Amino acid sequence: MNYFSFYKDGKAVYCLIFTGFLLFFPPSFAKTSVRNSKPLIQQHQIQGTVTDGNSPLPGVAIAVKGNSKTAVISDYNGEYNISASSQDTLIVSYLGFKTVLISIKNRSKIDITLEYDTTTLQEVKVNAGYYSVKESERTGSIARITSKEIESQPVTNVLATMQGRMAGVSIVQDSGTPGSGFTIRIRGQNSLRGNANEPLYIIDGVPFSSESVGYSNTSTATAGETSPLNSIVPSDIESIEVLKDADATSIYGSRGANGVVLITTKRGKQGKTTFTINSNTGVGKATRFLDLMDTQQYIAMRRQAFTNDGITNYPANAYDINGTWSQNRSTDWQKELLGGTSEILFLQGSVSGGSEKTQYLLSGNYRSETTVMPGDFKYIKGGAHFTMNHISQDDKFRLNFSSSYTIQNNNLPSIDLTIQARTLAPNAPSLYKENGVLNWENNSWTNPLAALNQTFVSKSANSVSNVLLSYRILPDLELKGSFGFTNLKNDEKRAVPSTIYNPSLAITSAASRLYTNNTARQSYIVEPQLNYKKNFGLHFIDALIGGTAQSTTTTRLYQLGANFSSNSLLNDLASAAQRLVYTSDEILYRYQAFFGRLNYNYDGTYILNLTARRDGSSRFGPGKQFATFGAVGAAWIFSREAFLRNNSILSFGKLRGSYGITGSDQIGDYQFYNTYSSSGNNYQGTVGLQPTRLFNPNFGWETNRKIEFALESGFFNDRVFLTAAWYQNRSGNQLVGVPLPGTTGFSTLNSNLDATVENSGTEFTLRTVNFTEKIKWTTTFNISNNKTKLVSFPGLKTSVYANTYEINRPLTIQKLYSFTGLNPQTGIYTFKDINNDGTLSIDDRKFIADLTPKYSGGIQNTFIYKGFVLDFLFQFVKQDGIKYLPGPAGGMANQLAEVSSQSWSTAENNTNYQAFTAGYNSALSTAYYQYASSNGAITDASYIRLKNIALNFDLPLPQSSKVKCRLIAQGQNVLTFTNFNGDPEFRFSGYLPPLKIYSVGAQLTF
Amino acid sequence: MKTYTLSKFRIILFISCLTLIISCDGFVDVDLPSAQLTGPAVFQDKATANAALVDIYAKMRDNGFFSGNLSGVTLSLGLYADELDYYGPASDPAINYFQNGLLASDSNALQVWNNTYNQIYAANAVLEGLYDSPISEADKNQFQGEALFIRSLLHFYLANTFGDVPLITTTNYQTNRTATRTAVNEIYERIISDLKQALQLVQQQYTTNDRVRPNRSVISALLAKIYLFNRQWSEASKESSTVISQSQYSLNVPLRDVFLMNSPSTIWQLYPKAPGNNTDFAITFIFQTGPPPFVALKKALVDNFENGDNRLTLWVGTVNNGTSKWFYPSKYDYNTATSSSREFPIIFRLQEQFLIRAEARARLGELDSGKEDLNIVRSAAGLTASQAANQQQLIEAIIKERRVELFTEFGNRFYDLKRNEMLDPILSGTKAGWNNHDSLWPIPDNELRANINLQPQNLGY
Repeated sequence: MNYFSFYKDGKAVYCLIFTGFLLFFPPSFAKTSVRNSKPLIQQHQIQGTVTDGNSPLPGVAIAVKGNSKTAVISDYNGEYNISASSQDTLIVSYLGFKTVLISIKNRSKIDITLEYDTTTLQEVKVNAGYYSVKESERTGSIARITSKEIESQPVTNVLATMQGRMAGVSIVQDSGTPGSGFTIRIRGQNSLRGNANEPLYIIDGVPFSSESVGYSNTSTATAGETSPLNSIVPSDIESIEVLKDADATSIYGSRGANGVVLITTKRGKQGKTTFTINSNTGVGKATRFLDLMDTQQYIAMRRQAFTNDGITNYPANAYDINGTWSQNRSTDWQKELLGGTSEILFLQGSVSGGSEKTQYLLSGNYRSETTVMPGDFKYIKGGAHFTMNHISQDDKFRLNFSSSYTIQNNNLPSIDLTIQARTLAPNAPSLYKENGVLNWENNSWTNPLAALNQTFVSKSANSVSNVLLSYRILPDLELKGSFGFTNLKNDEKRAVPSTIYNPSLAITSAASRLYTNNTARQSYIVEPQLNYKKNFGLHFIDALIGGTAQSTTTTRLYQLGANFSSNSLLNDLASAAQRLVYTSDEILYRYQAFFGRLNYNYDGTYILNLTARRDGSSRFGPGKQFATFGAVGAAWIFSREAFLRNNSILSFGKLRGSYGITGSDQIGDYQFYNTYSSSGNNYQGTVGLQPTRLFNPNFGWETNRKIEFALESGFFNDRVFLTAAWYQNRSGNQLVGVPLPGTTGFSTLNSNLDATVENSGTEFTLRTVNFTEKIKWTTTFNISNNKTKLVSFPGLKTSVYANTYEINRPLTIQKLYSFTGLNPQTGIYTFKDINNDGTLSIDDRKFIADLTPKYSGGIQNTFIYKGFVLDFLFQFVKQDGIKYLPGPAGGMANQLAEVSSQSWSTAENNTNYQAFTAGYNSALSTAYYQYASSNGAITDASYIRLKNIALNFDLPLPQSSKVKCRLIAQGQNVLTFTNFNGDPEFRFSGYLPPLKIYSVGAQLTF
Repeated sequence: MKTYTLSKFRIILFISCLTLIISCDGFVDVDLPSAQLTGPAVFQDKATANAALVDIYAKMRDNGFFSGNLSGVTLSLGLYADELDYYGPASDPAINYFQNGLLASDSNALQVWNNTYNQIYAANAVLEGLYDSPISEADKNQFQGEALFIRSLLHFYLANTFGDVPLITTTNYQTNRTATRTAVNEIYERIISDLKQALQLVQQQYTTNDRVRPNRSVISALLAKIYLFNRQWSEASKESSTVISQSQYSLNVPLRDVFLMNSPSTIWQLYPKAPGNNTDFAITFIFQTGPPPFVALKKALVDNFENGDNRLTLWVGTVNNGTSKWFYPSKYDYNTATSSSREFPIIFRLQEQFLIRAEARARLGELDSGKEDLNIVRSAAGLTASQAANQQQLIEAIIKERRVELFTEFGNRFYDLKRNEMLDPILSGTKAGWNNHDSLWPIPDNELRANINLQPQNLGY
């Protein structure tokens, strides 16, 4: 019912601010409560040391039974000191260990030994977004990694820390240049549009947009544009939870369709003020290079190619064999251009501490990384992180504040030299002349280093802050208000000096250009919530209602400066004689919602979880803005049933299932308006206006219906813990930029398509605690497979997608020609003419290939022996890939070494590769490109990679010293086992594959 | 107890505020961003309607048939036919044009196609927007005429390059997404009738300085060319006469100044990106030291110039490194920006109209007047009168004259060979990769996939 109807921003914000003020009043009632008097009994001091059998345990909670106010925490030497009477019993508890009850019995010194208890892993509170739930009682599918796994990886992007560790989550790096992005898919691709499959990222309760802040004209070396996720610092993260199924994601309603990634940063802990310093240095190198031809094989290939084409007079531009270049030169271009070693330095310092009521954490970090390409490039990231938690004396009022600030200052190569490194002829001239100047060899080639004279500099600053205030109005009723704010500023410049051109062209600095990108994104979110929890005997109810209002403003300014009087002024836009504004706009995104959750738990055995949300988004036209989403999840912990309660084998068993609907609005803003915008083109003094897009006011939400069933079971006191899950997600009413033929004037139109995409699959995780005595060894194994299927698409055969998709096949299929082998007489590839029309055309592309992984996963092992901890993770993926096909062999480009010995010739006609051609035989050239679009080009690209290995050693310092020192050695992407030529993890060919990194360091705590 | 009731009061207040948030349904209504204007609003006002129109010229200058990079036919068809030799790297897509090895997957051809149809869309949007516009009749007619001119010009080049192409006369994407290929002769029919209509709408005098906007003579110039290509000789002769008879166009300009921005022989040129800029053609073609870094004129073309032809000295640049000599087109000499622009890219000039009329007259049998027109162009180049004795020789002489006058200007050489069915005899000898089917470019693969009505693909691809 709308008895108020506020139309624009201001008023909504004021009422939310008013709400915020309300929350400041209740705290004034959080006074220190009056202590009731108790009869006095004689107390004396008890002290001792807590160990796990080998080493002391800090942070252990020791309390007097019945009097929780006396609880103390053991210090860094495991020592504690508590006041109690002889008749009291002490309760000693610590996560991961069995809780122990000890009667004091007149002793004054009690040393305590705790035993590992794997069952308490089930007691961990998992962050599910708006609420947290005990691991054993959760009804949804949530995968989790903690700072322990994150810190053992020498990487800079938070998504890299998740690779191979979570079932159902596929993360692939775009390229090996620092700052490049990652592609993440949680349980497959739901939307037909490739770039609309991003999950929702939430940092400490604040949504963080992962939409690019880069610009194609400035960030040219990375395969995608600059991703804001690079601003998050992995060393500040406490845990990452990934919400996958309907039960977990429906509470995020319209933005949860592709999963939700929750990032929680580190908090201060109660205890004495502690300083920690972390320092790491490392090196990075390319993982593998292709095995390419050497000069001799290459020259032989070129000569043969011209002979095959019937040309005896080598053309003027065949510099490699017509004598212009020396045929005795030999350069390994991959080593020359990509074989450098990048240097990585990481420093972090933090101080934290606090009392029982107030804790804080302040940390600063710095990371610098150079590149493997030649040149003076550096990627620098640094920042600070501060959190503070406070609980009032009467436990009613709580304040949590966290804030992170990261700045980046990057000077990166503006082009990726991978293609050059792979295709330059081995006898191509040297890069430099004797006097150190770039060598253009009399205009016979384009020196690859010339393009590196372009500079790409980017500076960005990002801050994410959140305040959570909560007040317990009644013992069972808590009122919360959460306010978050993010501010991201990204400034990029790409300077293209005239020195990238061949000096013989005599191009002056008048042709130099400067491209700039200034993008800023600010976002605030307000979420008031009311939470009610109550026990009625064995029934437990947890109810939550809340609202969300979010506003995000992005401003972009893309400019070009041209015609400089000198290249030394190139970085100053004001010195450009001509300036052009490509884009200048401000985009406003508004989002509003009302959500609720009802959780019913009977005796910890039967659990029911209902969530619902009603969302509105400014991305849709009037009348289409609102929709409702919801889910139901249920769990039955059958191991708590009477007949299984004390079973010696089965220690935990849970059956859970969920069903619900989530949505997606990743369509870009203002798309429903019919507009003209400034094109930035200048014609005789007038700045041109261009039609912005094709107009469709009718599009609305994409919906995603998810269903999941899972079984979680623990055996032998949870020493063996197995989870198996099956899920099926159906995504309908697809929001698509329907690709249109160019004859419509544009290449896409935004519209809802009545197509349904289904993702279904299974996930298994197995966790075993193998040994716990002298050497502790635990293994975690996860494997998942996901099948994507286009379930229905009315009118597919007559739509633009007729040749791209097929019903009941994945979205990423490619329709290829059927390769029928190499013709032994002519040495040309042959293909099947399926429709027998005499030519090879689109209709003959009937072979369906799918390049998505068949299954993937990881296996992690952890060994702990005395002070040593060894962790390693093997990641494995089974998939097909496309062979490396740079162009017909015989043209002026280097090829794989095996091509030289396996190419067809009149003498030897039982080979794999077709005859050489220098490009003048169109039958061979055409056949080659047809081969590249045939199933002959598909090859196995499965791999097993030692993704991460980390060895930590705690120096055995004397117990009396207050200092702890840990030595660390880590490696990333260390070994790769694969049959594929090149790096099998690559996403875009022609870009640097991910690097392997080794680093060593130390961590000092005092 | 007091604390309780106060808290209750706050709770009620809070909850009512919550309701307010939910009922703020106006919260998700966003205003149009400041940087965009709605379609109809653009055509309410002459200045913004003009901006929508000139943007198309800017786009034509930077991308598509008339640009100075590979998407422009000056470069691509120059390499494709027999005007330019290629010296650049094997990895540059230009090599496929030089080697006549174009594939349907060629990204440059796709770009030309998409850019051109985007420009046609913008022209149709102008026509549709002006329909109900309140601007003055005179302005409306001028803009409509210009939009019709643009649409016809672009379809002309599309048809000559790709063959049968979709004829797009509306912005309605529902019709356009299933458009079929229209036969070339029907396209010609339509553009001729559109241009005749444009002649009625557009003014005779230029609406702005520097001859960068079409006037009636510009439209006649295009119409004359189309009639010639369509073998309508008497119409071609008549139409080119209307242009030639205009006093503002004259050949009274030194040969070396023909391509300057204030040359009297210019009929229509395009304004550069910014004041002070010159042409992209100069940047593409000019080089200082050999061997050429990118492209150079074919020796055979240079040898075609007769002795005493001033165009060889003034319009062809030479680079000599002692052992070898290379040549480049130097019609446009300024390859850097200057304090004020010296050269604009010229699309139509008077010399071409004389050659059109010469050929039309020759084909009609009017040999004397045809020779007269030919000799006017020859004498401007410092040559003596033509020695052609009969129709056959005269036509050959005119085609040869077009080769040395109009080289590296918007693919004229290729189109001339094509319309005279001389592609195979002339090119199969000199170009190793030449095949019969290369007379047409392939329809881009992506387009065939996106619209099955565009099938079948051109022969040979």
